[in-house]
Amino acid sequence: MAENRKTVIVDARYMSCPGPLIAASEAAKKAEPGQVIRLLATDPAAPSDIGEWAREVGYKVLKVSEREGIYEIEVEIR
Amino acid sequence: MPKLSIIVSSDKLDKLYPAAILASTAAAMDWEAELFFTFWGLFALKKGYEPKNVSKDYAQYEEAILGSVESGSLPRWRALLNSARQTGKVRIYACSTTLNTFGIKREDLEDFVDDIIGAATFLPKAKSSDVTLFIS
Repeated sequence: MAENRKTVIVDARYMSCPGPLIAASEAAKKAEPGQVIRLLATDPAAPSDIGEWAREVGYKVLKVSEREGIYEIEVEIR
Repeated sequence: MPKLSIIVSSDKLDKLYPAAILASTAAAMDWEAELFFTFWGLFALKKGYEPKNVSKDYAQYEEAILGSVESGSLPRWRALLNSARQTGKVRIYACSTTLNTFGIKREDLEDFVDDIIGAATFLPKAKSSDVTLFIS
């Protein structure tokens, strides 16, 4: 179960495209299946880009939220 | 696996970044990418090359791009391209005609160049691609 594994925080704030995606992709390679990556980003393209990336590689977006210009996107690695 | 092919024919910031961004994004999405550097694009594969200029008409925006690179919000071009290649999904080709025309040698080019090829070798790669782009 995802909650039994440590969530990996990836801080990609202030990175332009493709920074957040590359950072998420690198973290995903090190993660185990079932593990969750929590990506922090300020790039307005990040929610859409991460969603498309997850669809392409077969991961699952669990949550997307935004607060004061910072997006928080949780992706479950599979 | 989906495949992207790009012909890169410029050595300017505003043309090289889109190529490297698309290639590294493709690799992150488990796509393959084939990049064919020709004409001025080939200059960008010379050892140690880092683009410093934008196309002439947009010179006033040069500082903004270089500022993004300095601040780290945009990675350095060569590092971006090289890390995309290190995924094993991106291949980088140098155009043989351009090498001959300008007297550039294989040893003048970055080690991350996979091969020196001609149009007849690139076309079948583009033919088997899902997305093909020419960035000029």
